[in-house]
Amino acid sequence: MQLLSEILLLPLIGAVSITVFKGLMPKKLPGIWASALVGISFLLSIAADVHLAHLGVHHRVVTGNLWTWISGFGPAIGARLYLDPLAGVWLLVITGVGMLIHIYSIGYMHDDPGKARYFSYLNFFIFSMLLLVLAGNLIVLLIGWALVGLASYFLIGFWYHRPSAVRAAKKAFVMNTVGDVGILLGLALLYLHYHTVGYPHLFRILSAAHPGSAFFEWTAFLLYVGAMAKSAQFPLHMWLADAMEGPTPVSALIHAATMVTAGVYLMARLYPLLRLAPNVHYLIGAIGAFTAIFAASIAIFQRDIKKVLAYSTLSQLGYMFLAIGVGGYVAGVFHFMMHAFFKALLFLAAGSVIHALSGEQDINKMGGLFKKMPWTMAAFLAGTLAISGIPPFSGYFSKEAILGQAFNSGHTLLWGVGVLTAGMTAFYMFRLFFITFFGAPRDQTLYDHAHEAPLVMTVPVMILGVLAVVGGFFGGWLNRWLAPTFARYPGASHAGLESGPVFGTILTVGLAVIAILLAYWMYVKKRVAPNAGAATGLGRQAYEAWNMDTVWAWLAVIPFKTIGNWLKPVENGILEFVNGVASVVWLWAADLRPLQTGYVRRYALSIMVGLGALLAFYLIRA
Amino acid sequence: MLVVWLMVVALAGSLVTLVVPRQSAKTVAAILGGIVVALYIGLLVHPGQGVNVAWIPAWGIRFHLGSDGLSLFLIGLTVVLTEVAILASKPEWGRVYFFWILFLEFGSLGLFSALDLFLFYIFWEVVLIPIFFLLTSWSGPKGRQAAMKWLIMNLFGSLFMLIGIVAVAVIHTQPFGPLTFEISQLVHLHMDARVTPWVFAAFFLAFAIKAPLWPFHGWMPDAYREAPAPVTALLSGVMSKAGVYGFLRIMLPLFFPEFVRYETGLLIFAVIGLVYGAFMALRQTDMKMVTAYASLSHIGMIALGIFTLTRVGILGATFQMVAHGLMVGGLFIILGFLEQRTGTRDISAMRGLNASAPRLAAYFLFFALATLGLPGLPGFVGEYLIIQGLVVHHVVFAVIAIIVLVMAAWYMLRVFQGVMQGPEGTKQIADLKAGQIWWIVPLAGLVLLLGVWPNGLTSHAVPSLYHAVHLLAGKGGSV
Repeated sequence: MQLLSEILLLPLIGAVSITVFKGLMPKKLPGIWASALVGISFLLSIAADVHLAHLGVHHRVVTGNLWTWISGFGPAIGARLYLDPLAGVWLLVITGVGMLIHIYSIGYMHDDPGKARYFSYLNFFIFSMLLLVLAGNLIVLLIGWALVGLASYFLIGFWYHRPSAVRAAKKAFVMNTVGDVGILLGLALLYLHYHTVGYPHLFRILSAAHPGSAFFEWTAFLLYVGAMAKSAQFPLHMWLADAMEGPTPVSALIHAATMVTAGVYLMARLYPLLRLAPNVHYLIGAIGAFTAIFAASIAIFQRDIKKVLAYSTLSQLGYMFLAIGVGGYVAGVFHFMMHAFFKALLFLAAGSVIHALSGEQDINKMGGLFKKMPWTMAAFLAGTLAISGIPPFSGYFSKEAILGQAFNSGHTLLWGVGVLTAGMTAFYMFRLFFITFFGAPRDQTLYDHAHEAPLVMTVPVMILGVLAVVGGFFGGWLNRWLAPTFARYPGASHAGLESGPVFGTILTVGLAVIAILLAYWMYVKKRVAPNAGAATGLGRQAYEAWNMDTVWAWLAVIPFKTIGNWLKPVENGILEFVNGVASVVWLWAADLRPLQTGYVRRYALSIMVGLGALLAFYLIRA
Repeated sequence: MLVVWLMVVALAGSLVTLVVPRQSAKTVAAILGGIVVALYIGLLVHPGQGVNVAWIPAWGIRFHLGSDGLSLFLIGLTVVLTEVAILASKPEWGRVYFFWILFLEFGSLGLFSALDLFLFYIFWEVVLIPIFFLLTSWSGPKGRQAAMKWLIMNLFGSLFMLIGIVAVAVIHTQPFGPLTFEISQLVHLHMDARVTPWVFAAFFLAFAIKAPLWPFHGWMPDAYREAPAPVTALLSGVMSKAGVYGFLRIMLPLFFPEFVRYETGLLIFAVIGLVYGAFMALRQTDMKMVTAYASLSHIGMIALGIFTLTRVGILGATFQMVAHGLMVGGLFIILGFLEQRTGTRDISAMRGLNASAPRLAAYFLFFALATLGLPGLPGFVGEYLIIQGLVVHHVVFAVIAIIVLVMAAWYMLRVFQGVMQGPEGTKQIADLKAGQIWWIVPLAGLVLLLGVWPNGLTSHAVPSLYHAVHLLAGKGGSV
């Protein structure tokens, strides 16, 4: 228990100390200090997981109350922490990948005047994310949930002088608030019925219930809305693409590796509830599959390196939800972990490219960079192969596990969508890879100034690169680690990793290989322009993300503003009425006008006289 | 007794500020306000019995003051926010200004601790006076008009309340004998079903105007806009709670069956205010007005909590009264600093001020986030409890309430970002001074503490809170 509070507190201490003392700190200190604290937190997380592993297979839980959060209307709700193998996996990824990205940031943000602020936000994010994962009840989870949203708001809007960054930050915050209030209502319903929102207790109660009642469907749906907003599932996904306004390491850490997977964590955590809500459970998988293919279709036509990666994150999150939806919980967590490695790697490598090209993100101005940045190119290639699901890279194993599970459980349609998306993924990722690193330079000036990133940036990239290559071999270990957790309560009988049919694997990998060859033929052999196809027709629609922003504007923003405008006359009516009454009284009081001298002294005097009279009255009566 | 000493110090202090040298009036007022805060800490440790002596025996009126779970933290809110208002005021506003501020504190303390209905009425009227003069003499161009509206509407309401009070006391004599205004006695009242709705309405009108609840908020926009920032902070932070407090202290014990009978109507009424305030806040261009209408919306939320008639909803309302007072008080003070520095309240006339005033921006954001209900800060706690109360019988209202929470995020960030972010404008403003930071930090700390450890308040308030509102069993007995 002590270990948990320390894991949590260290990054918080970092955030607070940097905020308070940034004026006194030498320029380089905040980055080193912040990275060191997350590093220690990482070591402690390993210790906590080792401790967990030493406990009996069925007793792997560390929990405790820090203080009573609230009481007075029913059973008290505590500020409770809870560590089990599922939280343990997230713990390692958050602090481990978090530490690497902190170190990378030292180089990336080297010249930014606001870097102390940057590192305090980054540490604050780590704290919030750890709070979310270590929460022992839904209230504490919701607090962490909202605070990661706040950290994300800070970091998307880090360059607050850019109007686009400010807009993106607001959109992310408001869309995430939609999720927050979903969780709020869901947990209120759970508390109403079961008088608890604490994990082990709630799950025990849920395990005894029978599925099929509308109550469970609604509660699960509300909590899923929270997951949907945070993990950018369709239709609450628009904010994630805009979130790329933040510095690239932030996109790697928050908007790819960790925060956006919080929804996957929540759904995996609540599997006893999903058992009771079969319709919502199916919906999760269906929306996941749809998000996967929908986002992939957008990614194919993007021309901003970060936008491609953002839509690919959306698509991969769709895979994770697909896994949850078909009951393959371990596969979902496995894909989360592999995705954290290869997507963080891709973002950081992309960051090195952007850094080298002095901030340029448009792939129309890149090309031929493999000569200038061989290490970055190698790392990017490793990440691209991993996300494309080419054996034996990490993504192959986790994606196969998800698709296998989808097929085995009879969700053939969802499986088909997943297979097709795998092919699309390979195409858009290799399109990005070939355009960026091969062919002739498209902008000679930028190309001439390009250079390999400094060591402080390449070393974290290399470490992630190694993980992205070999990560898949952790699958068996992860399966053994998580299986007892998902076996504790009913509802996850097929949680463990399964392998699908051989023809499925051949089909998926075959499609990916064909897609890669197609991308090679188009962008290396034929030198097709990067934005060809995005000018007209469906390509144009896909490039504009199927105009979901406009849809949202018409569905939510414009109606709300219009209602506000309609209500203005009502308000004026209320105010005018009062004005009318006031002026009538004013006229009526004209005779008393001489008393209104406007001298405060005289008013004060009258009041004193009045009070004196009251006092005298009191004294006389007594 | 301690609660009386708080009032004595406030009243005596107000008189002292009148006679000290003009330039030291603020310092003296701040010291006196500080003494009241110190005494309040004593009250927290030893809540004590209060005082209960005969006042006007012929009418059975007693001088009965005390503090319980319902009022203890509202008294705390009053003393803290008064001190903050004094510190945020300009010394050149002079002796009389500080006199009125401390006098207002005296009146508010009396209002929140009176346990005799007639005494309550006296203090109810007493607080009108300082606000009226603060509005006429230290306000913007339309201050006098705002003051008139404030006075007329509130007097209108309290006139009805007076009738209600007399009616209640007189009806009470019929079975129970001698005239009394003691609230704890009056609860045994059984009124004729033909009379009750009228008496109910009389009280309700007075409280709804003071809060204000939609559509009785006609006085609010002018008063909040014209008053100097510290006075707006007291108006929205403390005075608005007086109206809501009336529902809890007087109406719930006296009219519980009527609340049950009118429950749906009352909830609809409160939810209209909640939604209406949010929509108005969304369309304002004056940053002070955004916060004013946000406040209208929040008061609607608090009323919603009360009208659920559940323990948890009422606990939430009680918590939210205190939390909202501190948060919105802080926010209005920050907005006041901004207005002083820029000379405008128009959101579109400002941008990118974060660059020149990062600390001001940080505290602005902090109070804005607290107000929009960020989990981890106290606004969330109150909203959670109120929603927990709503889901018991009225899930539909809970759904509307959470939609308004999303709108709150939208309108608060709209103001913050419009003013503080975006490309830097031509205007540079001064950041917060050390003399301001030393008292804003404790205020922010208090807000943070309430958010992280709400049990500190709720465990002290319960169970004397449920006793005070006579909600010990029956419908509210569940959650």
